[in-house]
Parts: sequence; structure tokens; C-alpha cells
Amino acid sequence: MQSSPNMLTKFESKSSRAKGIAFHPNRPWILVSLHSSTIQLWDYRMGTLIDRFEEHDGPVRGIDFHPTQPLFVSGGDDYKIKVWNYQTRRCLFTLNGHLDYVRTVFFHPELPWILSASDDQTIRIWNWQNRSLIRSYWDISGLRKKHSAPTSVSFEDQMARANPNQADMFGNTDAIVKFVLEGHDRGVNWVSFHPTLPLIVSAGDDRLIKLWRMSGGFTTPEDRSKGVSHTKAWEVDTCRGHFQNASACLFHPHQDLILSVGEDKTIRVWDLNKRTSVQSFKRDLDRFWVIAAHPKMNLFAAGHDTGVMVFKLERERPASAVYQNQLFYITKEKHVKSYDFGKNVESPPMLSLRKLGSPWVPPRTISYNPAERAILVTSPSDGGTYELINLPRDATGAVEPTDVKRGQATSAVFVARNRFAVFNPASQQVDIKDLSNSTTKTIKPPAGTTDIYFGGTGCLLFITPTTVALFDIQQKKQLAEVTVSGVKYVVWSNDGLYCALLSKHNVTIVTKTLEQVSTLHETIRIKSATWDDSGVLIYSTLNHVKYSLLNGDNGIIRTLDQTVYLVRVKGRSVYCLDRNAQPRTLEIDPTEYRFKLSLVKRNYDEMLQIIKTSSLVGQSIISYLQKKGYPEIALQFVQDPQTRFDLALECGNLEVAVEMARELDRPNYWSRLSAEALAHGNHQTVEMTYQKQRNFDKLSFLYLTTGDQEKLSRMAKIAEHRGDFTSRFQNAIYRGDVEDRIQMFKEVDQYPLAYLAAKANGLTEEAESILEACGLTEDQITLPSLEGSLQVPRPIVPTFKSNWPVKAAGHSSFEKALLGEVGAADEEAGADAFEVEEDDEEAVLAKDTLDDEEEDASGWDMGDDINVEEEVDFVNVESTEAGAGSSEADIWARNSPLAADHVAAGSFETAMQLLNRQVGAVQFAPLKDRFLEIFKASKTYLPASVGLPPLVNYVRRTTEEEDIRKVLPFIPRDLETIASVDLQEGYAAMRSNKLEDGVKTFKRILHNVLVNTVSSEAEVEEAKKIISTAREYVLAMSIELERRKLSTDTPEGLKRSLELSAYFTIPKLEVAHRQLALMAAMKLAFANKNYNSALGFASRMLANGGSAKLLEQARKIKAQCERNPSDQIEVDFDPFAEFDICAASHTPIFSGSPFVTDPFTGAKYHEQYKGSVDRIADVTEIGAPASGLRLFVPSQY
Amino acid sequence: MDPFSAEGELLNIHNAFHSGQYQNVIDFETAAFSPENQLPARVLKLRSQIALGQSGEVLAAVASEEDTPDLAATKALAQQVAGKTDAALQLAQDLAENYPDNATVQVLAATVLQAQGHNEEAITVLSKHQGNLEAVSLIVQIHLQQNRSDLALKEVQAAKRWAQDSLLVNIAESWVGLRVGGDKYQSAFYVYEELAFGPSTSAPLSIVGQAVAELHLGRLPEAEAALTAALEKYPTDAELIANTIVLNVLAGKPSADLESLLQQTEPSHALLADIQEKSALFDTAASKYSPKVSS
Repeated sequence: MQSSPNMLTKFESKSSRAKGIAFHPNRPWILVSLHSSTIQLWDYRMGTLIDRFEEHDGPVRGIDFHPTQPLFVSGGDDYKIKVWNYQTRRCLFTLNGHLDYVRTVFFHPELPWILSASDDQTIRIWNWQNRSLIRSYWDISGLRKKHSAPTSVSFEDQMARANPNQADMFGNTDAIVKFVLEGHDRGVNWVSFHPTLPLIVSAGDDRLIKLWRMSGGFTTPEDRSKGVSHTKAWEVDTCRGHFQNASACLFHPHQDLILSVGEDKTIRVWDLNKRTSVQSFKRDLDRFWVIAAHPKMNLFAAGHDTGVMVFKLERERPASAVYQNQLFYITKEKHVKSYDFGKNVESPPMLSLRKLGSPWVPPRTISYNPAERAILVTSPSDGGTYELINLPRDATGAVEPTDVKRGQATSAVFVARNRFAVFNPASQQVDIKDLSNSTTKTIKPPAGTTDIYFGGTGCLLFITPTTVALFDIQQKKQLAEVTVSGVKYVVWSNDGLYCALLSKHNVTIVTKTLEQVSTLHETIRIKSATWDDSGVLIYSTLNHVKYSLLNGDNGIIRTLDQTVYLVRVKGRSVYCLDRNAQPRTLEIDPTEYRFKLSLVKRNYDEMLQIIKTSSLVGQSIISYLQKKGYPEIALQFVQDPQTRFDLALECGNLEVAVEMARELDRPNYWSRLSAEALAHGNHQTVEMTYQKQRNFDKLSFLYLTTGDQEKLSRMAKIAEHRGDFTSRFQNAIYRGDVEDRIQMFKEVDQYPLAYLAAKANGLTEEAESILEACGLTEDQITLPSLEGSLQVPRPIVPTFKSNWPVKAAGHSSFEKALLGEVGAADEEAGADAFEVEEDDEEAVLAKDTLDDEEEDASGWDMGDDINVEEEVDFVNVESTEAGAGSSEADIWARNSPLAADHVAAGSFETAMQLLNRQVGAVQFAPLKDRFLEIFKASKTYLPASVGLPPLVNYVRRTTEEEDIRKVLPFIPRDLETIASVDLQEGYAAMRSNKLEDGVKTFKRILHNVLVNTVSSEAEVEEAKKIISTAREYVLAMSIELERRKLSTDTPEGLKRSLELSAYFTIPKLEVAHRQLALMAAMKLAFANKNYNSALGFASRMLANGGSAKLLEQARKIKAQCERNPSDQIEVDFDPFAEFDICAASHTPIFSGSPFVTDPFTGAKYHEQYKGSVDRIADVTEIGAPASGLRLFVPSQY
Repeated sequence: MDPFSAEGELLNIHNAFHSGQYQNVIDFETAAFSPENQLPARVLKLRSQIALGQSGEVLAAVASEEDTPDLAATKALAQQVAGKTDAALQLAQDLAENYPDNATVQVLAATVLQAQGHNEEAITVLSKHQGNLEAVSLIVQIHLQQNRSDLALKEVQAAKRWAQDSLLVNIAESWVGLRVGGDKYQSAFYVYEELAFGPSTSAPLSIVGQAVAELHLGRLPEAEAALTAALEKYPTDAELIANTIVLNVLAGKPSADLESLLQQTEPSHALLADIQEKSALFDTAASKYSPKVSS
């Protein structure tokens, strides 16, 4: 039995011999009790030692966590049982009583009990709440000695043989030995129950693992009522394999497996049903002593001579592959399923891969090929196998795949539409295979390659322990290499430009040519990653979802309560697979990384958007912005004045800094502000800060340098006032004010200096008076030689008047945008202006192109002729040569009796014939645009060989059809578009009173419907409805337009106007539009004192209902008209008679009078208009014989 | 056997040419090629220049080397593209007669012949090829232009048996696929998508191919995305413009601007010619009808 590749070690500790292990039920913690008396508490996920508990004396063998309380219990060779609280990190109490080594201790799952077993041959039950011994059972040793023969003891026997030792203090025998399981030849080291089945497993010094079954308890209801229990227990089988003492064993919590460890340095896994060895793992030097299973997760821990290892038996990462909106993955049952991200639906199972690999080993990877709808699945069993399977078209259930191609390899990926690569590490060879699984090429990867990944179309990535290499398959050449160690997974960005290399603790982002872009380190294991559409990598660790920008900036998006494997990010949703291979959707808040991304891309609009719409604040964002050199943006987020001040200084925004300094008003801030302002040369701010700081000396000097004499003299006064002579002296010097200086010297009794000053500046009188005051004469004084008066340098420019030209404070466009936001109106105005400009530009452009066209026209005619000839040639060739076939366009015309299809085929003559026959079309000019439109959309131009015209292909509406006898052209502007776009445009024109446009729109609708096709009878009805709607609107609008052209100066004109306004209300418009017509008619009638008519219109309006404002008006007019219901002008309009409006003359056709209709639009006319062109659509002949418009041929569908 | 087999040093330049990356071909570093490959590489470069509309330069470049049949054939093509059709035809016919086994002559002479409507002659010239995939793809194109997709399909399937991996065969298969339709649209789409997506093969040619396939599949938004992006990159590519016009009309959007743009870039484009012709046809046909009573 080889050592298994599937044992995944998650954690290893180094310590002395580990004798006991306990998993925490929820946290990633494990308690390890050591032979050296220490108890260690490890976080196996982080790999850190959390705590040590050292109160036992000698080895500690028993250890257990309480399932809910922050407690654990330990039992040692010092005979003591200790209960600890790991939160307070101390031993709560000690239970004394055992008389020999304590082997195991456990908490009862529900009751407040601790059960302990000791070498003193007792099992004791303790209550840890009142810290007392409840029971102790002594009989074990006795039984073992007395009854060696029977393998089981019945309940009744047991009752009869009740050992006195077994009775408690009241003489009750409430605990009974049910079975004695005999079979091991030597000492038994460990026994475990099966979590659900009546099974027991034991491990002994006879190197065997034995499986026992008990049939148990009350088998029937009667037995239960009688209290009879037919219990039996017997040995089922033995697992042989350990070649040294077997130390411990247990059942796998979820699978039919047994795990055992032994002093032969192995961990062995056995099939519970077949009792055969499934896999084994061997350490070189360390004997195993104990094994434990995590109560919930797929984790085990084994203790050995030098510590503990935590491991998994199998990978829990479900194999998955993403293509566009679909995820393909393999479930725990080895079913292939897909998940649609768009619809959030999981498909039923599509395939069962039950036979792939060994039953205990899940498939490792899946690679999907959309062109062939095939998958490549690899499984690590048998040294690595792969299978190429075609997915069924529809998911109908977990069927066994039929046509499977397989081979030996550890990795297999699709590299092109019809090629895949498989890697065999043993032979260190990559084979490129085609879809029939035959090798087309063999590549020797770099030495030590461990895995291969897709490397972009036609390329592969070779992963070695220290590098990743990009290899072009076709050229057989290595294109690039990057040194990244321990890469385990490769995730390509959606646009294929970047690639994330995931190793255990690092994410390295490289370009498609393997240039390293950034790298980041995580202390916790990195599990999976996927790319956002905007180029942000979203990755997951054991407990977090995080993001990384291309520049390596990263952060946490959310925490995870369980490990998941990310597959896709879309907006706020992260799609992932959990460890049970169930698709899950996690909601995330992408604000932070989007913000950072837009910052990096300098997309200020988006940043602004984010700031406006989401609550993006927090220290981390601010310090991020600061660190990245965007203090001005950080400024926008901060409220705290202190931080704002710091940021403002950093980005040199003095205005904000001043504002904040005022708010804070502390010397420290003023002095920092003054230093900054000085550096800017903003002396006005400097002045203000000096004033605030009462920094007179500096203030004076500032005035001196800026040449502000006035203020300087004020400073002198202030100095005088303050009695600060030094300052006064200084000011006097700055100002060159000798008198003041002398005066000051005198005041401080410095007469010699005063005299000297007076003398030096030639103020003899003053000098004299000083002498006099001192009672001295000039002879008594010896003076140094004087060199004229002291001149203070004078500033040439009166700088003080305004600040030095300061470079405009760094308003980024972002800030501007923010400022713009304040004056939203401004922004809008700006936008408007901009639009206007654009319009102008467009107009100019349009003019240009027009001009161009005109210019080209003359030169173009010649080219045109040649082309036509060519076309003619071509046609001739076609017809003369037997080899040529007929073009698809011709076939369209042959396949369809619909005019639109003939138009698309370019066969305008036949199309016209059809229209003439169907609806009596005689005037085709209005249809020209429609004809050319359909024709233009009929074919595409595919460039092929240089020097030859592009290949022409015909656009079909029957995209699925391959039979040339059934193909039909695509007709643009289907009925749906007409109804949802064009019709609405017409309505909008009606609403906004743009009737000329409206008439054009509705006529266009009629033309578009006339030359069109539909796909069902229902649509034919819809088309008819659209035709009649358009007809009514064209009629109504034409009536109103005629009225507007009339002059109402003459009585006839006025009469006709009133009539037309009344007729305007007759066509069947939408109610809202009819109200408009009625409103207009009512007002006109009312204004011309035709109260009776107005009353009629008002009543109709009220009957129609609708907008309250309109109704209010109608009500008022109605009220007024009811007082005098008569018409001043007689009009030809009877509101109570049934009539239609003649579309040509706009006069009534009363029922019973003769009329003709138009074969296409159905508009009615007085008889005299027969034979002329329809006024509604301008195409058909009124009253022409017609077979009816055809838009639909059932057999085509 | 095909001189551009997968192992040869001409593979990359050859693929670049056939995926439409003409500028890359011209810039290709060929100094290190072995002597026998120098000429084919040069011919490819000259043909790329012709494709980019630099036929004048090509004519000048080969003026003194007309003894080499390959270069003479290039000259014929350049003449054809430059509009000197009579000279081109004459030269092509001469070459086809004198050097019937030269692969370059076969392809280029046949191109000239076909461009002038001598289909049968072109096919005869090409049929002498010895495993030349370019000849195969040209034969396929000629068949398609004659609306014989059945023959084209046969040709492709024959070629696939001995050169399944070749870019040319893949492309030729897509041409046929776009004619046949149905599932084949999707296959053609995958071929062009793979080309358009691959950084070393993306060019207007492949993007147009991808977009055309999308159009035929009825996936207008996707086609629009591809064409819009490509138009930004190559604003004067006539086929891009032409197909965008088709797309806009299909989607019911205005196309007049693009039509005038095409008018400027390539006034002789088939789309414009067709419209002109059909417009005239419409007027003639419409004039046959009139109402009984003129109003």
C-alpha cells in the first residue's frame, strides 16, 4: 500500500509526545495533552499556539472540550482530573479520587457530567457543576477475569450476577455491563462507537483493528413494554495491516471508513463495508498514539512522538469551470451540474461520474469546451486519470456518459476549440490531443513541472515549484517565465489580459505575458479567486473575502463563516461553491474597491458618484488616500477638524486649513499654518496667523519685507503700548525712525546710545539736548568715527497690497466636480451650453458631409458604371456556366410569397407585383426607403483573400435552418419594434402637438408594416391593429393640420374651421389624445359662442374621464354652456349621427351614403375619389381590387 | 508538402498574414530566416503592403526583379489592385502558362483571374497545387462566390484530412459555415472569436469575422459591441464600416453617417454599388405603376 497522495496535512506542531487530542466544536482550535505534562491550545488554522496549561504532574492522556461552555477537562498520570476555563485561562477545580493513571476523560454531551476511565480499573462519573463524584464502577476487571469464554453476556445473566461492587451507595445496580467483547489477543488500547450505527471499533496491541456489531436493545414494542432486551454483540471482522501495536481508532463521521493509528508510524484508512485498506500514511520516525475526528468538519488530528498533525482525507474543493454565464461543477455525488448566473438556477444533474477514479476520491478539476460542449475531468486516483466526455444537450438526470475517452494524466485542460493538453508528471511529458484523444504533439515541459494550466488561446502555463512558464504550443517555444514559488491555482481575468497565480499564502498578479504586476501576502491560506469585470481580483481565504487591485492594494470585503470557493463576481454578488459543492451567492459591498479602482484610474466622475450614493467613510479610506498621495480627496471625507487640518496642509489647501485652524484655535495649529503659508508665499495668511499667535517680532519683520509701512508704524505703537523696548527698538530700526529710537533710548536711560544715535544721524539739536540733560559737554565724549546714517533696505514692490502670485491651489478635477455639485444649477447650465455646442458641431459636420457628397457625386458616377457592369458580367457568368449555383437571395424569392422577402432578395419588380396584387399598391416612391433598408440589411461582407471582393453572406431570420429550401431573410423593424418604438414616437408627437412629425411617423409605420413579415397569426392581427391605429392618427392629424392652415377671417373659413375641429374628435385615438382633440374643439366652439357644440364636447370629455385639470375646465365650460345651449354659427356636425370622415375631403360620410375604401389602410372616401391614391399611406389606389396583404406564411414556421 | 508547416520558421509570419495583421507582417524580423525562406517571406510582406493599399510601392519594389516568377506574380496582383487590370490579366495569364507549378504564381495569378471574372481559368490554375493550403482556401472562396457551397465544403473537408490544424483551413471552413448556416454559424463564430481574442491574431479581419458570425446568429448586441470597439481602433476599415451599416439597419438605427464614411474610404465598396444599382432598379420598376386617377 503506497502512501496516499490524498492525505492533506493542514497543520503540524512540534512538541514532545502527544497523548490526547480534542477539537473545539466551533473554533479552529485543538487541545493537545502531552507526555511532558503540558496541555497546549493551538489555533490550527493560523498555526499559532494560543495558550499552555501546566498544572498536571506527569503525562496527560485524557482531554476534552465542553460542547458549549468555555471549559475543558483533562486527566493525567497524577491521578487528577482538572477542569479548566480557557477564557480565564486557569484551572477551575481538581477532581480527586482515581487511584491510578487517568486514561480518558470526556464531557457528557447533555448532562453536567464528566466520565473518566483510569488504570485503577474504575470508570467514574463526576458532576462538574457541584464538583462531586456521582458514581464509580469497579467491576470491569472482575468481569474480564471471570468470563473469558462467552463473547457476550445476556442482560438476564448480568442481572443474576450483579456484582456487589457495582451497587451504588443505595444498593442499586443502575449500570450494567452489557457485553464483554472478546477477541483481541492482547491489550486493547482504544474503542469507539459508530456515530449512528450499532457498531464498535477497537484497536489493540495484537496489531489488529476489530469491528464489532451489537444487535440491540429493545427489538419489538412488546419487548420494550416488558423490559426485555435481546442484546447481543459479536465480532464482525478484523482489519489487518498494522505491524506494530495499534494505538487508537475511530469511525469516519460521514463516510463508511475507519481510521486507525499505530506505533508502526502509520495512519490507516479502511473501508468499513469491505474491511480493506483504502489508504495509508506513514511518518518516518514518529509513532502514533492517538487520533481524533472533528465533530463537524472534515478534519482529523493524530498525535505522535513529536507533536500533532491535523489533516483531511480528501480535497473538499469541488471541481468547477466557468464559461460566460454558466458554472459547471461536480457535486459530492459526482454528478455534473451547471448553474446559470444570469437566472440563478441550478440545473438538474447532467452526468454521473460515479465510475471515474476510485469511489473515495472526488474528481480534481473540470475543464469546459463551449464549442464542443465537452468537459475534461481529472481524478487523482490511480496516479491521475482524465476523461473527455460530451455533455448531453439537455440536463435530463444523472446518466452515465456513453462516449468517454480517457487516459493517464494528472492535469488536463482545453487549449483550443479542438485541442486539449494532458500532463503526466511521471514521464514529465505534455501531450496535445485532438478530440478523438489521439496525440498530435508532444511537449517536454521544464524540469520539475508539477501542473499545467490554460495560458490563453494556444498557450499553456507550466507550473514548477519555483516558477511559472508560458509556452506557445504551436511554436513549441517558451514565451516567458516568472519566478513565483508554490503556485497552486491560476485564475485568468475575464478579458484574458491578466492572470492571478495563487499559492498557499501569496497572490501574484501577472499580465498575459507573465510580467509581474503585483504580489501580496496573506498569513491565512488563500483558497480561491475570481476577477471582477472591472479588473479587480476578488479572492477568498479560509475566513475572508478580499479584493486586490492590479497595483496590489487590497482589503477585506467580508468575513466568511465557512470556507467557500469563489467562481464569479457580478455586481454585488459573489458566486461560490461551498464544501458540499452547493452553489451559493454572497452579497458583498463593492464600494471600497470600486472607489479605489476609480481612484487609480482617475475616474473622478465615478468616485463622485460613489461618494454621493454610498456611505464611504472611515479611517482606512482616509489613510489610504493619504498614503496614495490624494490628500485633497481624503479631505472630502473628513469631518474631524484636526484631521481636516492635517490633510489640508498636506495638499496645500490653505483655505480649508485656515477655516479649520479658526475652529481649533490653538497656537500649535496656527504656527504650523503660518509655516505652511509662508512656504506658499501667502503672506496675508501668514500675517493673520502671526496676529493670532501674537508673534510681534515676526509680524514686524513680515511688514518690513512686504513693505507695509503703515502697519509697521502701528507695530511700533503697539510695542510702545506694551512697553516692550526691544521690540520698539526693532520697529524703529525697521522704519528708519531715528527720533523714536532716540526717544526710546532716553526712556530707558541709555543716554550714551541716544546721543550716539542723534549724532550719527545729524540731529545736532537733539544731541545737544541730551548732553544737556546729562550735564556733559561735547568735549568729554569720545566718539568712534561715524559713517553716516543707517539705512534700512526698502522693499521696491509694495508686496503687502496683495498676495504673491500663488499657484492656483491644486483643485483636482475631482474637487471641481465636487464643487460643481454644490452649484448644481451651474453645472446644468454648463451642460446645456455644451449640448448646444455639440448640436452646432453636428450641424457643421452634417453640412460637411453633405458638401462632400455633392463633391463626390461627379467622380462617383463613373465608378458606379463600372460596378454595374461588373455585376452584369457576374450575372452572365452565373447563367452561362453550368458550374455556378444560384445565390441565396434568389432562393429567398423562390421560397416566399411575401413582398418583404422579395425586397430582401433584391427582386424589387416581383415585390412590387405582389404588393400591387395584394393591396393595390401603385405609387411606390414613398416605399423606397423601406425597400432599400430591407435590402441593405440582407447581407454581410466577410473579408477573405486579399485582392478579391469580400464574401457575401445572407442574413437569415431562420438562424437554425440549414436546408437551403427553407431559409428566409431577416427583415429589420419587426412588429415588436414598430409597436414599442415607432408607435410611441407617434404618440409622443401627438402629445407634444408636433403634428407634421406625427403624420410622417405614422405614415412611416404604415410603410414599415406594409413591407414586413410576422411569425404568427396572432401577429397578423396585431399588424392589422397597428395599421388601423396609424390610419386613425394620420386622418386626425391631417384634419387638424388643414384647420390650422385655414384663415378664419371669412365666415366660411370660420365655419369650416369649427367643423374640422369637430371632425378632429371623431377618429379613434387613444383616450388621452381624444381628450386633447375634444379640448381644442370645445375651446374653439366656446370662443365662437357655439355653446351647444361646446356643451357636447364638454360632456364627452367628462364621460371619458382622465386628467383632473382638463376635467375641471370641461366642467366649468359645461356649466356656462348649459345656461345658453345654442350655436351662433351653424356647422355641419351632428354629434348624434353615425358618420365617418372622408380621408380626402375631410367631410362626413353619413351611414347609408356610398363610399369606397382603400385596400391597404381601410380608410373611407367619397365615391368620387375612387382610383386616386390613398391619402393616408400614399401608396395604394383607392378602391382597387386586391387580395389582401400577406405578412405570414404558416408553412415557414 | 506545405512549406508553412507547423514546425517551419515561416509559420508565424504566415499566420499573421492570414489573420489579417498586415502591419505585423511588414514589420516582421526575417533577416534570420534561412535563404530558401527569404523569398516566401518577402512575398508575404509585399502582399501585406498590397492589402494595406500600398500597391504603388510594391510595383516600384519589384520593378527590376520581374525574372523571379514569385515577384512577377506579386506585380500582377499589385497591378490588379491598382486598377491596371489589362496588364495584370496579361501578366497573370503569362505566368500561369510559364510557371504552372510555382505556388505563389498559382495563388496570385488565380486571384487576378478570379477578380476579373475568369473563374474557370482560375480554378484550372489552382487545381495544379501540391498541398498548398492557400490554393485550397482560394478555391473555396471561388466556389463560394459562385454559390457552390457544396463544392466548397468538399474542398474544405478534403483539406481537413491532411491539415486539420491550419489556420487557413479553419478560416476557410468558417467561410463555408457562414454560407451553410444553422449550427455552422456557431462553429464559425468560435473560430473567429478564438482569433479575435488571441492577442497575436486579433485584427480587423478576425473581429469582422466574429461580428458577422454574431449577426448571422441574430445576436445583434454582441455584434454591435464587437464592431463598435473595433471601429474605434480601426476607423477606416471598409469592411468594418460596411458591416456596421448592415448591423445598424438590422437594429433599426440610422446608418447615413456611416454610409457617407464608407463613401469616402472606399467608394467602390460592394454595399454602395448594390444600393446605387437597386435604387435605380427601384425607380424603373416603380415607374411602371400609376394610379388610375391622378390627384
